[in-house]
Amino acid sequence: MNSQDAILPIAIPLAGAGVAMLLRGWPKAQRLWTFGILMASLAMCVNLLNHVFSSSKPLVFQLGGWAAPFGISIVVDALSAIMIVMVQFVMLMGCIYALDAKDIAKRYSVFMPLFLTLTVGLTGAMLTGDTFNLFVFMELIVISAAALTAMSDDRSGTEAAYKYFYISQLATIFLLLANGLIYMSYGTLNMADLAIRIKTDALAGGPMPPMFTLAMVCFFATFMIKCAAFPFHFWQPDFHAAAPTAVSAMLSSVVVKSGVYGFIRMTTLLFEPFAPQLQQVLMLIGAIGVIYGGFSAFGTHHAKRMFAYSTLAQIGFMLMGIGWGGTLGIAAAIVFMVNHALIKSAMLMLSGYLASKAQIKSASFENIKGLGKYLPQSGVLFFVGSMALAGLPPLNGFVSKMMVFRAGIEAEQWAWLAAIGLASLLTLIYTMRAFQWVWFVPPAAGVKAKKDGDSLFAPTVLILACVVLGIWGESLVSVAIQASEWVQQPAAYIAAVHPAK
Amino acid sequence: MDIIISFAIAVLFATGIYQLLRRNVVRSALGLVIISNAINLFLLAIGAYDGTVQSYAKAIGVRSDALPLALILTAIVISMGGFAFTFAMLYIVMRRYKTADIDAITELKN
Repeated sequence: MNSQDAILPIAIPLAGAGVAMLLRGWPKAQRLWTFGILMASLAMCVNLLNHVFSSSKPLVFQLGGWAAPFGISIVVDALSAIMIVMVQFVMLMGCIYALDAKDIAKRYSVFMPLFLTLTVGLTGAMLTGDTFNLFVFMELIVISAAALTAMSDDRSGTEAAYKYFYISQLATIFLLLANGLIYMSYGTLNMADLAIRIKTDALAGGPMPPMFTLAMVCFFATFMIKCAAFPFHFWQPDFHAAAPTAVSAMLSSVVVKSGVYGFIRMTTLLFEPFAPQLQQVLMLIGAIGVIYGGFSAFGTHHAKRMFAYSTLAQIGFMLMGIGWGGTLGIAAAIVFMVNHALIKSAMLMLSGYLASKAQIKSASFENIKGLGKYLPQSGVLFFVGSMALAGLPPLNGFVSKMMVFRAGIEAEQWAWLAAIGLASLLTLIYTMRAFQWVWFVPPAAGVKAKKDGDSLFAPTVLILACVVLGIWGESLVSVAIQASEWVQQPAAYIAAVHPAK
Repeated sequence: MDIIISFAIAVLFATGIYQLLRRNVVRSALGLVIISNAINLFLLAIGAYDGTVQSYAKAIGVRSDALPLALILTAIVISMGGFAFTFAMLYIVMRRYKTADIDAITELKN
């Protein structure tokens, strides 16, 4: 495999988005084209994952042939490879859901091209080895996701998109500031080069450059807003309720992961000498997120809002995993990320499916109460999905929660463990409450399911993936542990990107 | 020159943050624009403007570096697209509520 292939998961959807824009006069051709592009790009990602694990060293492509500290490096290491496969698989499922959805969004000719640029942004943010390039891809994620949110059936869709865009734009502006500060301190924006310089400076024991701490804080805050961690979560539930289903499923499952990925890179590569302090903060915001998210989800009256708050809690678990650190902690975070992406996108698609079957298109519980009587097959999927979300065996949620608890036991953090253990029981309570409201309460007079609605194909595939990854969980766990061992040794990453040092 | 630029950045940042916190959606959006300009100016300042020594070098001298200019150009292009989009959405939101008061735009909360 050539080193140029590392850029294909970015280049294929980007070129595809351009062509899809030209196909705007032929909606059917455009949809098929988008689907085909996502398939091709997913195949490329799986190929890269396979290659990286079989050759057991990162695949690096220096854009334009400019060697490491000067040019932009595209780095596919084990962590990035797992992340891009996850992102593109879930995006493909979102595309399949959108193909058959009855949303207004389908009528906009830019929907599919924006879906592709969102994929480009996510994949790029996870592959790039350059912090300024990270800023560019983050901005691409934000602008595509906001435009997609605005194409909503809900009349407050634009308001939701504005809210999302405003907060995320602020976050990316501060990422730009962080880039400026880090460039001022070290004169480089290449992650591998930065890691070397920061480590040398920290080992020398003298004072760090004056703006260094501020740069670290700006990076941290940006990623916190990206993954909607505790104090910065307030905007997330609002726009979830209004976004089109295919979009909200993507935003809550894969877009938030760009922030979690950023935290892993921060604590293991960029700011590795300062990891203990960062991990303390991550543990704190993670634990608060788990507890606060659980209780907030319990207090909602809208299925999509409930799952948005549940994302806050689940992100908390991932941050706890990164906070505990070590091989097991990072592996737990990786497994949790992959499993959560599958479960949460399936659950949001099921909520959207229920909304599309209701008379008024809204997923608020009073609107869909009792509707389940007419939709038994979605009930089975919802039940399995909520069991997975709550972490009951034999589903994949159990594997990921068990990994996090194992990491906590290894780190001997008993108080944290007790707190998040209790809080994770809340998941079971709120999802079962929703299940009971929709499938067990008899429908009110006149409530009937509509004939036409969204298709159940995409959520079925995702739930099947949850079951498969629950029963044959070892494959994912062993891959994640391997990836975690890689990221524990930044020297290998640095040597691959920057052979001169 | 250094002092003028530092003051300009400080004043722009302060104005931006102040506008960001106003209870008017247009002003808060403009605050975002001002902050982004403050950061662009800051990027210009880290590259400095005349001399041969880079800004990050620990040597003392007249400093200069061309790379931040490329960063600023990219950031300006991106933020132009972003702000055009921001104000387009803001126009739709304000036309619906017929007000710019942030406390009146509350339909999403429940």
